[in-house]
Amino acid sequence: MRKILHADCDCFYAAVEMRDQPALREVPLAVGGSAERRGVVATCNYPARAFGVRSAMPTAKALRLCPELVVLPPDFARYRAVSEQIQTLFTELTPLIEPLSLDEAYLDVSEVERFRGSATWMARWLKEQTLARTGITLSVGVAPSKFLAKIASDWDKPDGLTVITPADVDGFLRTLSVAKLHGVGPATTAKLETLGIHTCDDLRQRSLAELLERFGKFGRHLYQLARGIDEREVKITRERKSVSVETTFDHDLPDLAACRQALMPLFDKLQQRLARHDHPPSDKRFVKVRFDDFSLTSMESMGTASDPHGFQHLLEQAWQRGARPVRLLGVGVRLVPEDAQRQLTLFDEG
Amino acid sequence: MKFSISREALLRPLTLVAGVVERRQTLPVLSNVLIQASTDELSLTGTDLEVELIGRTAPSQVEQPGSATVPARKLMDICKSLPEQAEISLALEEGRAVLRSGRSRFTLSTLPVAEFPNIEEGQGSVELSLPRGTLKHLIDATSFAMAQQDVRYYLNGMLLELRSNLVRTVATDGHRLAVCSRPVEISVEPAQKLIVPRKGILELVRLLDDSDEPVSLTLGASHVRAHTGDFTFTSKLVDGKFPDYERVVPRGGDKVFIAERAELRQVLSRTSILSNEKYRGVRLHLEEGNLRVMANNPEQEEAEENVAVEYSGAAMEIGFNVGYLIDVLGVLDEDRVQMTLADPNSSALMEEPGGGDAMYVVMPMRL
Repeated sequence: MRKILHADCDCFYAAVEMRDQPALREVPLAVGGSAERRGVVATCNYPARAFGVRSAMPTAKALRLCPELVVLPPDFARYRAVSEQIQTLFTELTPLIEPLSLDEAYLDVSEVERFRGSATWMARWLKEQTLARTGITLSVGVAPSKFLAKIASDWDKPDGLTVITPADVDGFLRTLSVAKLHGVGPATTAKLETLGIHTCDDLRQRSLAELLERFGKFGRHLYQLARGIDEREVKITRERKSVSVETTFDHDLPDLAACRQALMPLFDKLQQRLARHDHPPSDKRFVKVRFDDFSLTSMESMGTASDPHGFQHLLEQAWQRGARPVRLLGVGVRLVPEDAQRQLTLFDEG
Repeated sequence: MKFSISREALLRPLTLVAGVVERRQTLPVLSNVLIQASTDELSLTGTDLEVELIGRTAPSQVEQPGSATVPARKLMDICKSLPEQAEISLALEEGRAVLRSGRSRFTLSTLPVAEFPNIEEGQGSVELSLPRGTLKHLIDATSFAMAQQDVRYYLNGMLLELRSNLVRTVATDGHRLAVCSRPVEISVEPAQKLIVPRKGILELVRLLDDSDEPVSLTLGASHVRAHTGDFTFTSKLVDGKFPDYERVVPRGGDKVFIAERAELRQVLSRTSILSNEKYRGVRLHLEEGNLRVMANNPEQEEAEENVAVEYSGAAMEIGFNVGYLIDVLGVLDEDRVQMTLADPNSSALMEEPGGGDAMYVVMPMRL
């Protein structure tokens, strides 16, 4: 039986800010883009959450809900440094770590012999050490699979520790809301509810054939999760599939000409980001456009990352689909998978 | 326009011409075939602006000469589904094309003939003629290696090289290369090198047969035109510099083995079932008198085959995309195949034992 930990920092960016300026602990705090620049909340602390502020919410809306909200711009360099400290701490326990973002990771501790092999003790140790060394509180979930560990870490936030032992799995799942399952968002939740499926127990009453018919391949996923089956391994390196940059503009770009102008700085930023990744081989490029009505479109084509005309061309095609003011533009490239790079080439040109 | 024609006389040129017509079109008229009826000849034209094909055939009777454009695929589907030997009449009536045959009647939409584009006739600078069978052999031996939708657009086609007493085709997708040459009685000064786009090659080869009848070629600055009896084929040329094939044909390989071609092909095909579906890697382990072929996939399933080969050098192991090897074994004519290797990171040369008119270069995969 596997032992998986899911460690999740509590409101990470806000926690780093509160650690460095303790006065912020008692006031509603959000880290994110400013309302004038139409930014969104990246993270907020618990006093802010009491007002209904949530991450990914436009800052302007957050300020309407909570006029005294303190909004700080994010300082990723500082967050990254703290994240690295925490990652180092993880490696003291196990080398099998799958980081999901700066503030979240899976750890496979099945083979760890310290703490007499008790994953609960390991989780407790991680929480203590993280707090002592970085001043950040961690919520940890302990379970026999990734999806249950993730649900568990969220169960008792902040500063939580929830353990789902193999013996608990069945009872835990029976009453678990389907909305908590990996891959089930608002749309799928609504669809499940119209079918009278609210809990995993309801889900278990349905046959695999029925779920496959209604949800396609995802039906198998649902069928398995409801039974606690999730064989996904903790992947030490996650293969990067694309590199991209995007910007939400302070003011909507009124027309195609304005979009064209805005594309070049993004293109330059993409080149910098690619340089930081040592120019990984890419074979496709894409442009993403969000219009002022929040509709989203993207265009993709074969091509090299270094050709600005290719991106201009994609932008023109994408813009035509909405032909209205633009809120957000993004550019990026799809990377050639590592397996594909094993094929050697006849000519050396890129 | 009004004429009648037998189903068979119409169907062969119509099928070939409709092959040029793309399913997805930017210009509506491009999904149509242009039909021109003169007193004693019927001609059909299809184009996608890059490739144009004109087919000529004999009508049974032309009551009224004229022309019209009608949806190519629908017309073809209708003719195909009519009974064999059916007599078909087609007439333009009030801007619509009415097809009648026996007790059937179909009314098709038309678009103005004036809207139908023709590839502008460039100045033909060089004219020559080749046996159809020779050109067909050269294309068949190499076309599988053409790239598809590569950003290096000049690879999405075939290099046709014509020089005095020699014609050669070269195709490559950057992972493997195929080259084939044959002597012919032509005189071309200076030598001509043209890149014919992928689609042009695939349509051209459909017009060719194994005969010694001539296909005449007209080479222009931006177009190539081919005449074979009842068909006139025109293709734009790809403007670009094709890689120099001589630089990639390996010269230093010292590990040469010979295998039965059909047997090796079967071994590779079976092994490929358990290779990674996307990248199709197989390992070849070469040792004295034996070649072991191994494959495995992400599900950890494994295949292993052994096949006898003529070989007496040092052992070596090398990986390949199995599809690239099978493609070559599929086009070679001889019963046996010779493969020359140097090391696991260098290209392999495949050809008839002792060398034939074709050479195939395949880059390995890292194991």
